[in-house]
Amino acid sequence: MDRRAFLTATGLAGAATAPGPLTGVARAAGPADSALVLRALTRLTADTMSGLAVFVLPGPDAYSRAQGTPRREPGAIEAGVPAFLVDALNRYLPFPDQVAVPLMRALVQGAGSLSLPAPREGDAQAGTVRRVDAGLRRLLENDATIPLAPVVALLLNLEAVRVDPLAVGGPFLSPFARLRYARKARVFQLLEGPDPTLVAILDRHLPEPLRGSVSGLLKFLAGALLELTALGSYSEWAVFDPQTRRLRGRPVGWRICGYTPSADGWDEHRGYYQGRKQVTG
Amino acid sequence: MRDVIVVGAGGGGPVVAKELAAAGLDVLLLEAGAHHTDPRASWTHYENDANNPLTGFLRFGPSDRSKPAWLREEPQNSYVLQVAGVGGTTQHYYGNSPRAFRGLFAGYEGPDRDAYDTEHAFPFPYEELVPYYEWVEATLPVQTAAMGTKEAVFFRGAEQLGIPVQTTKDTLHASYRPQENAILQPGGTAGRTTDPARLHYPQATGCTYCGFCLQGCMEPIRAPRNQFAKRSTDNSYVPMALTAAAWSPQGRNATLIPDAFVVKVHTELRDGETVATGVTWRDGRTGERHREDARVVVLAGGATETPRLWLNSGLPNPNGWVGRGYTDHFLDGVTGLFDEDTGSSKGPSSAARCDFPGRGALEGLGLPPAMQAFIMALSDSGIRGRYANGRGMRGPWDGRSGRVLGPELKDALGNGVNRLLNILILTGDDVQRRNRVLLSAFPPDEHGAVPKVVLDGRARTRRTVGNREFLARKATELLRRAGARRVYRFDWAPLLLHVHSSMRMGRSAADSVLDSDAESRWVRRLYVADNSALANSLGGPNPTLTTQALATRTAEKIFIEHFGGRPWVRDGNPVVSTDPRISRALR
Repeated sequence: MDRRAFLTATGLAGAATAPGPLTGVARAAGPADSALVLRALTRLTADTMSGLAVFVLPGPDAYSRAQGTPRREPGAIEAGVPAFLVDALNRYLPFPDQVAVPLMRALVQGAGSLSLPAPREGDAQAGTVRRVDAGLRRLLENDATIPLAPVVALLLNLEAVRVDPLAVGGPFLSPFARLRYARKARVFQLLEGPDPTLVAILDRHLPEPLRGSVSGLLKFLAGALLELTALGSYSEWAVFDPQTRRLRGRPVGWRICGYTPSADGWDEHRGYYQGRKQVTG
Repeated sequence: MRDVIVVGAGGGGPVVAKELAAAGLDVLLLEAGAHHTDPRASWTHYENDANNPLTGFLRFGPSDRSKPAWLREEPQNSYVLQVAGVGGTTQHYYGNSPRAFRGLFAGYEGPDRDAYDTEHAFPFPYEELVPYYEWVEATLPVQTAAMGTKEAVFFRGAEQLGIPVQTTKDTLHASYRPQENAILQPGGTAGRTTDPARLHYPQATGCTYCGFCLQGCMEPIRAPRNQFAKRSTDNSYVPMALTAAAWSPQGRNATLIPDAFVVKVHTELRDGETVATGVTWRDGRTGERHREDARVVVLAGGATETPRLWLNSGLPNPNGWVGRGYTDHFLDGVTGLFDEDTGSSKGPSSAARCDFPGRGALEGLGLPPAMQAFIMALSDSGIRGRYANGRGMRGPWDGRSGRVLGPELKDALGNGVNRLLNILILTGDDVQRRNRVLLSAFPPDEHGAVPKVVLDGRARTRRTVGNREFLARKATELLRRAGARRVYRFDWAPLLLHVHSSMRMGRSAADSVLDSDAESRWVRRLYVADNSALANSLGGPNPTLTTQALATRTAEKIFIEHFGGRPWVRDGNPVVSTDPRISRALR
């Protein structure tokens, strides 16, 4: 029952049965159950990152409406921030597999002892849950390469259902994405705290020498996620063409804040304060 | 066998390399990151492309941008914002070049002496450093910053703080002034047009007011590398080191190897003493390892990497102070929203400041939108209006300190990125043993155990905390008097931009790694010439100029002690780094 609660609460079981396009992280084709889990993780991660992106820059999208802060102007979804986050976390945040995989394993093994909301009627079928469970076990036993973004997604979703048990069901795949704005903030409050219950569980299931590092890791991650999202939201990332090093359009963030750069200079020279061009001594 | 190997081509290492190459020594300069030899061909002024700490061309990572950045473990909410590559973190610095406060040096007897961390003072008097300051100021060169709109707004507020304007290089009391910047003053059409066709060198010289100090300087268009406006070391000291034979009568060109990450310092026992003999580095492109020997080794990889290299090399650490005493100016940010144009994203990014000796300093901070959002999302006080993380300070600013996120961030930036003014708070922070770099228990990378930076923003000394609160109030007052209608204070989590003193020199052998010549106390012929060699955080002033002055002094000490040379700074005439002989030799 605990396993089923974990898989349902994190949204993973639901993501395993959801239709939809695949992008991003799934890379290892393997036994069918493992492939199923990787596909589910990919979908769940994209959905969770959408919930995070609009938390920092809301817009006119469904995720912003769900958190109760819809805006007319474009926001993080239009700025491509969910994909920015997946890319940054998976490919560039230099967390070695030897950290991400044990963390994932500790989450899976330890989360059963959190008091999670029970799966509801209509949640993923028992057969699917069993397959997801088996696939996840196989992935973790085989030391698969699991990038960081899905680990972060599971963390956010797990905390989401602890903040609001009703988030276990609803629109989207990600419980975190279902939260109202104030409750998303509560998730970050827990992570930054850091949440002593989660720290204790993860530390208990982490191998040496990583044991004892969870508290700092959660505080760092919580901060970095918000700062990185803010950077990406107001940057040119979504419209930058790395081949030509030119922009394909005007970035969302620039439109919001009225920014128009002049690449090589401005006519801003206003002379010298009190006419003084040099000082000595 | 080289005469000298310098590890790291950031703010300090190239200074030693240039000075000793000018004196005729055979100098090898090793840099872990890229050498951006043609910025116009590989850089842009786009913020994510430049400054994303994971992916940008100005990141701490290998030159191959398809590979991940290099790992540091940070067991707290913090961010080490260091830059690899030739020029190091000066590639994205603002060129601010104030001198240190005198109260942080031995022998200071001013009436405010108790306001300073005198327990960790420099082991020599301030006056001893002045000739080296003057030498570096003439070499870079350092010049009084011109104004733009944001400086006019800043001064409007500063003039009402009841403190005088400073008209000297030395800071003697609380004051405000234009920055002394390592940025060439605008000449010709620079600062007077937005038309790129009129911003070519030599029609335009010096700062063109592009507003992209943080993205690396490549202005004016087609200027020789040593004529780019901002005097990051890739534009100043490195070109000088590489062309020393062209401008110094006895000069010998230094050798630079980029993509060379030093992983070990070698030593041997000589007459009962441990002596440095050379280094091994890993070539980032091929993975091959190379070793070279030298008569003297100078470490300059920065306040995080230098202790890491020391510890990974198994060098002695008898008093446990290697990596300890890490200071960071406990930076904070305050932003005011205005109903008028402030030009915040235009011009040299920081051109006005206030100094409060015994407290710290304030400076203007101009930013384009993505970094503006980044600094508003950084806090140790949680999210404004939601949770305060046990902090959430109240004061003359609006509401509690904390992150500005979501709808509030959108509204604040929607007011206009050029209708706000940021003030950066540089706290005079005390050296504390507990703040440190050590080796992480995380899996090692290809360069050995990774550094773990432990810096608890909540366990600062009472004096440090008091200084920061004083400065946050002054910054808010400045903004209000300048006309801000709303002021945010963020209470930043440690943003590690100014980092120092983690291999500190000191008077006491009990709490320092280096002696007063910047030589290691326990390994002969091993020196440190980056910010980590500083005895303390200077009381708040930006560290690069002082590191460069100290590195000049260290180069002179090395030349006298190990190569039988004579000093040159007191009686010599420095060659300015914009000298046309350097431009010609670079072609």
